Amino acid sequence: MDNFGFLFAANAFVWGGIIYYVFTLKQRSRNLEKDLELLKETIDKESQ
Amino acid sequence: MNLYFNQISAIVWKDFVTELKTRELFSSMFIFALLVILIFIFSINLSIVKASEVGPGVLWVAFLFAGTIGLNRSFMLEKENGCLTGLMLVPADRTAIYFGKLISNFIFLLIMEFFILPLFMIFFNVDLLAHIGSLATVVLLGTLGFCALGTLLSSLSSNLKTREIMLPILLYPLLIPIVIGVVRMTGQILEGIPLSDMMKWIGLTASFDIIYIGVSIMTIDHILEE
Amino acid sequence: MDQDLEKEPDEESTVLIWLTGIVFFAAIAAIFIIVPTEKTEGPIQRIMYLHIPSAWLAFFAFFIVFISSILFLWKKEREWDIYAHASAEIGVVFCSLVLITGPIWAKPIWGTWWVWDARLTSTLILWLIYVAYLMLRSQTDAGSMRARYAAVLGIVGFLNIPFIHFSVLWWRTFHPQPKVISSEGFGKGMDTSMLATLGVSLCAFTLLYFLLMGQRIRLERLKDEVDRLKRQKLYSS
Repeated sequence: MDNFGFLFAANAFVWGGIIYYVFTLKQRSRNLEKDLELLKETIDKESQ
Repeated sequence: MNLYFNQISAIVWKDFVTELKTRELFSSMFIFALLVILIFIFSINLSIVKASEVGPGVLWVAFLFAGTIGLNRSFMLEKENGCLTGLMLVPADRTAIYFGKLISNFIFLLIMEFFILPLFMIFFNVDLLAHIGSLATVVLLGTLGFCALGTLLSSLSSNLKTREIMLPILLYPLLIPIVIGVVRMTGQILEGIPLSDMMKWIGLTASFDIIYIGVSIMTIDHILEE
Repeated sequence: MDQDLEKEPDEESTVLIWLTGIVFFAAIAAIFIIVPTEKTEGPIQRIMYLHIPSAWLAFFAFFIVFISSILFLWKKEREWDIYAHASAEIGVVFCSLVLITGPIWAKPIWGTWWVWDARLTSTLILWLIYVAYLMLRSQTDAGSMRARYAAVLGIVGFLNIPFIHFSVLWWRTFHPQPKVISSEGFGKGMDTSMLATLGVSLCAFTLLYFLLMGQRIRLERLKDEVDRLKRQKLYSS
């Protein structure tokens, strides 16, 4: 039976999906860290 | 205990008086259900399919859609004039508010269904009167389940910005088991199968009603909290 | 659960990352090299080693949402709300993967992309419930109200699972039963190497769940910290 194509597609979706999700998690946390950094700087500046 | 029942009946009475004055809830639900049935009749060819096969589905979809309108409307009325805040200021148990709304929603829906069923009978050319007892049981069980979960979720969604959209999105997936159950049972009733042959569906619907009323009692305090 | 937000993933999570990596490596090796090809279905049957673990992970994640929701309503601690949110999101991701791999498996075996098979249907309904849960969260502002509402929905949604299961199962019995190829095939027609591969894969996905949870929880804490600082700045200026 020749259904390698389907096997490949399923694997592409699973691994692609997991990697994409991890990537978005990283992206979101990087953005938040940037925001945090910025906020801390401004607060420090104001308090001086 | 007597006080508790008085509180519930006061809420139900308030809803009835409002409805008798405006009549907007009943008329909008009734006309909407009628329209849903008509749209289905135009989109299916009744000369090909058997009425007893598609009929129950159409009927319950109409009840479901019209019921959603009713639920949305009923909590919006409370919200609009700050009635809900007033209700919550009353030294009443929160579950009394839930039961009050549940009972008034339930009765409004039953009245609407009472008027829709004869029309359904005429349009689909099915004989409901022969099985009126078993049909009434199924309608009562199904509507109670719809109202139990619907009242809980509409009290939740009434505080959201997008309440009209969120109520069906939250409610419909959760209602799928009960919809499958009542549509199956109604279909079998129309084919003349006695109620005792579908005890498993009755059990499923009844336990759905009981469990969701129980869960609502336990969680309503957390929803109606300011 | 007091951990410094600034610190990079600490030692524990480094261990977890390595462990997950190794088990995943073993699982992939087992799936594609060691395990024999199934006779009747051919290579496509290897999807099972990803399909079932994804389903398990999704279900486990939804169970954690349920438990966290109860604990939140009981204790009213933000911690449990974070767990519920993180777990729901991960659950929806893997539930989507199940719904994608299911039809891809069904097409060559059953000949159609979608059959209203009991299990596929209940997974779809479950997916809809938890997507609604995430929508509810995204449409309300952060705070006690969002947490309470989400917790109620988390409880109501999980309690629906037995009803969905039975209603969909009985609903199907009126139609010709499709050839069900899923965990029903346990024991029969599965030799030990297949079971072992499935076991390794299940382990790998479970570890992945905890890894993703750790990341997702950290993200939520960062968000809280940013909100707190923003508020602080607003009031100080």
